[in-house]
Amino acid sequence: MRRMFCFHKSNSGEIARSRLKLVLVSDQSGCSPGLIDGIREEMIRILSRHVEIDSKRIDIRLAQMEYAGAKEPIPILSAKVPFRRLTNMRNE
Amino acid sequence: MSEVIVITSGKGGVGKTTTTANIGTGLALLGFRTVLIDTDIGLRNLDVVMGLENRIIYNLVDVVEGNCRMKQALIKDKRYPNLYLLPSAQTRDKTAVNPGQMRKLTDDLKEDFDYILLDCPAGIEQGFQNAIAGADRALVVTTPEVSAIRDADRIIGLLEAADMRDVDLVVNRIRMDMVRRGDMMSIDDVADILAVNIIGAVPDDEDIVVSTNQGEPLVDTDSLAGQAFLNICKRISGEVVPLLDMNPQRGLLLRLSDFLKRA
Repeated sequence: MRRMFCFHKSNSGEIARSRLKLVLVSDQSGCSPGLIDGIREEMIRILSRHVEIDSKRIDIRLAQMEYAGAKEPIPILSAKVPFRRLTNMRNE
Repeated sequence: MSEVIVITSGKGGVGKTTTTANIGTGLALLGFRTVLIDTDIGLRNLDVVMGLENRIIYNLVDVVEGNCRMKQALIKDKRYPNLYLLPSAQTRDKTAVNPGQMRKLTDDLKEDFDYILLDCPAGIEQGFQNAIAGADRALVVTTPEVSAIRDADRIIGLLEAADMRDVDLVVNRIRMDMVRRGDMMSIDDVADILAVNIIGAVPDDEDIVVSTNQGEPLVDTDSLAGQAFLNICKRISGEVVPLLDMNPQRGLLLRLSDFLKRA
């Protein structure tokens, strides 16, 4: 039904909302996109010593999280690091 | 009791001057003695939006430097008995005035006026610092765009750091047709992101362009934007007024297509 009457995809308002939220988190935490790049490089280097990771598909970003006890959502670093193989992992 | 209100935004071009002109005129219409001060030294515009550009003799910098008395520089708006304008200087720059002088200026005006409105220049430099120095409360003007809201967020942070007592938001240039089809952030979205009180939302209205062309604020007309501005004035004075219904009367066909889109 929706497709029939909407001739173009209309969600740019939602795109604006999510872009704005991210930009505000980085503004408010005083953290530049360059800092995130630095963190990414370091993380890849350190993690690579222990496991084989898929460095192309790493997703590191600033996000916000509701936190018990905090009035407002706090900025957090969210990192998704896909492993290729776990062979290098040490046995406990 | 008088109140000094700064109208600010960070980003330029979101409608600070238009908002100042209309809220000032509206407050005067409601019976309050009101003075508007253009603090954008070097880029004065409030005079033309108010249609008072031909009556300027002295300006803000003249008053601060003691070249004239306050009464000589204030322009009385003949259309509204309670309304005055203190124009900015066009041939000077922001360094001609400092925050201490602005505080003294607004304090002096408090004796004669109920509301003193300061039209702030864009940016966060000295012009902004001058404008907020003597203010009791701030109205932050924004539009439903990423860049304007980002700057509003920064300005709100700076105002809070400067211990501004009240900070309220005016969301300008809302287009309900775009909000309805998901191509513009809604008033609720903006409220959610900025976490400040929204004192009013003003629809994007062609009548604003017409009124600015003519140098006549539209707050005393029955246009949608005019009503929205008058509601803001009432809220400033402490009245409780519900948010304006900005959905204009729509034909059956449009409503039918809306219904089908939602189905």
